[in-house]
Amino acid sequence: MNTDTGTLLEINDLFVQYKTERAISNALNGLTMRIKKSESMGLVGETGAGKTTTALSILNLLPKPAGKIVSGEIIYNGNSIIDMSSNQLRDIRGNKISMIFQNPLTSLNPVFTVGEQIRMVIQKHKKVSKREADNMSKELLEIVGISGGRIHDYPNQFSGGMRQRVGIAAGIALNPELLIADEPTTALDVTIQAQILELMKKLKTQYDTSLLMITHNLGIVSELCESVSVIYGGRIIEYGSVRSVFGDPTHPYTNGLLGAIPLLDGKKDRLHAIPGDIASATNVPSGCAFHPRCELADERCRMEIPQIVGIKENHFVACFKKTEGL
Amino acid sequence: MVGAVTALIIILLSLFSPVIVKYNPITNSLRERLLPPEYFARGLNGHIFGTDDLGRDIFSRLLLGSRYSLFIAASVVSLSALIGTILGAISGYFGGIVDILIMRFCEIMMAIPNLVLAIAVMAILGPNIFNLIIVLVITSWVQYCKLTRNNVMVVRNVEFVKASQALGASKWHIMFSQIFPNVTTQLIILISQQFGWTILTEASLSFLSLGVQPPIPSWGNMIADGRNYLITHPWMVFAPGIALMITVLAFNFLGDGLRDVLDPKRI
Repeated sequence: MNTDTGTLLEINDLFVQYKTERAISNALNGLTMRIKKSESMGLVGETGAGKTTTALSILNLLPKPAGKIVSGEIIYNGNSIIDMSSNQLRDIRGNKISMIFQNPLTSLNPVFTVGEQIRMVIQKHKKVSKREADNMSKELLEIVGISGGRIHDYPNQFSGGMRQRVGIAAGIALNPELLIADEPTTALDVTIQAQILELMKKLKTQYDTSLLMITHNLGIVSELCESVSVIYGGRIIEYGSVRSVFGDPTHPYTNGLLGAIPLLDGKKDRLHAIPGDIASATNVPSGCAFHPRCELADERCRMEIPQIVGIKENHFVACFKKTEGL
Repeated sequence: MVGAVTALIIILLSLFSPVIVKYNPITNSLRERLLPPEYFARGLNGHIFGTDDLGRDIFSRLLLGSRYSLFIAASVVSLSALIGTILGAISGYFGGIVDILIMRFCEIMMAIPNLVLAIAVMAILGPNIFNLIIVLVITSWVQYCKLTRNNVMVVRNVEFVKASQALGASKWHIMFSQIFPNVTTQLIILISQQFGWTILTEASLSFLSLGVQPPIPSWGNMIADGRNYLITHPWMVFAPGIALMITVLAFNFLGDGLRDVLDPKRI
């Protein structure tokens, strides 16, 4: 762990709501998170737990007018992202903080060649001539393993995995300090997933970029990340180094998640399933959001929200039952 | 392909009509009235499509009339496409109150029958070519606005818009450089159809003598002149009628062809 390097991104007690005509959905409920320089952090959780909302909040790109940051702060390199003007934000997006999207089939514009799309990103942030930008695009494509001669091809001439590589090339074009990857492998099949992960691993070591890897695939996290945050009901409920969290999962939810993974060796038993459904964002349970599904829950869990507490170095848990004795 | 070639021929013919025509399309020559078509028996010197009731050469009038028709259609289509597209893009991209205002205004415009509105406005402003263009723009921009708005709304929610925002693109860049190229295909089809529609409407208004005014020939007022002679001297109506039909068809075909050529998914 790079405990000695500084904090790159800090999210403190972030509340985000989506307001529609019918309901108010509390997507994030006091999310707190810290990403250090050149750290790779995995953010895992079920569908609807607030993973993508977290990513969009970091770029201040919540869908308007429904999405709104109610309270909390997002500090990037000492500056509050929430208070930035749209010019400052555009300067940061793509340049300092960049994002790779989930669905490579829709995240590229079908009417531009891949070269043009990468070039637009470069020219947006750097004063370079068209030719230089084209050469940079070519290099970037080579880096992600696509022949540079293909910059004049349209996205539909590429396969899904290759399009995701193009997306990655556009994301790393300006060598960002933080790369947010929002389930970059979900839409791809397993062998291509492995290739993309291999590529991201390589790029990470090469460019020393911080990475926020959003996924519900715990395997990806243990493969690629140093630390992991588990999100449930819009809050981080367990956080720590991958080794510690996966080796000794403490929160009942993390425990359940890991119990739901089939093992290749050992005895073949029925997989453990967490009872119930994920906490609804329109009606978040009081107290600990996980209490309706938790075997250990008691009166206190229903009333109070547990704070996240360190149980050892680099391992923090938000659960009364597990942290009571400490 | 057929459309492109035919449209090109029509445009070239009307551009070079002063060189081709041998007769003055406006002066009367009563001794030669109602001559039947000679086709190309005397080459370009004959009355290829015959003469009308005032002895004017129909071929010459046809070519001169095409200049007005095409000029009016081109101005109307480009102006209304420009206005409609900009308003539609703003409406679709920004949504909210802007969208509501623009769309309600469009619906008010759509509630009034085009031709009736055109007749009313022409009757008030007085028939001349400039007013004709204004009237046709007023009645046709709504279609571009609706089309662009709906397509922009669809494209706006595709992930690449979010992706380009996440990579630092500005609103106007996204609207005009990222979203707009995705809706041009449908626009081109609409433009070509509207081109045909505009020529037809212009002809209708001229037919009702609210458009191009005599003695300047227009296909519409040529048909109007000829309708009294339809049984006895049908060429007076057939020549402009067929020209009208071929032109409208050609531009529709052209639109279809352009759509196929411009489709980025075509390999």
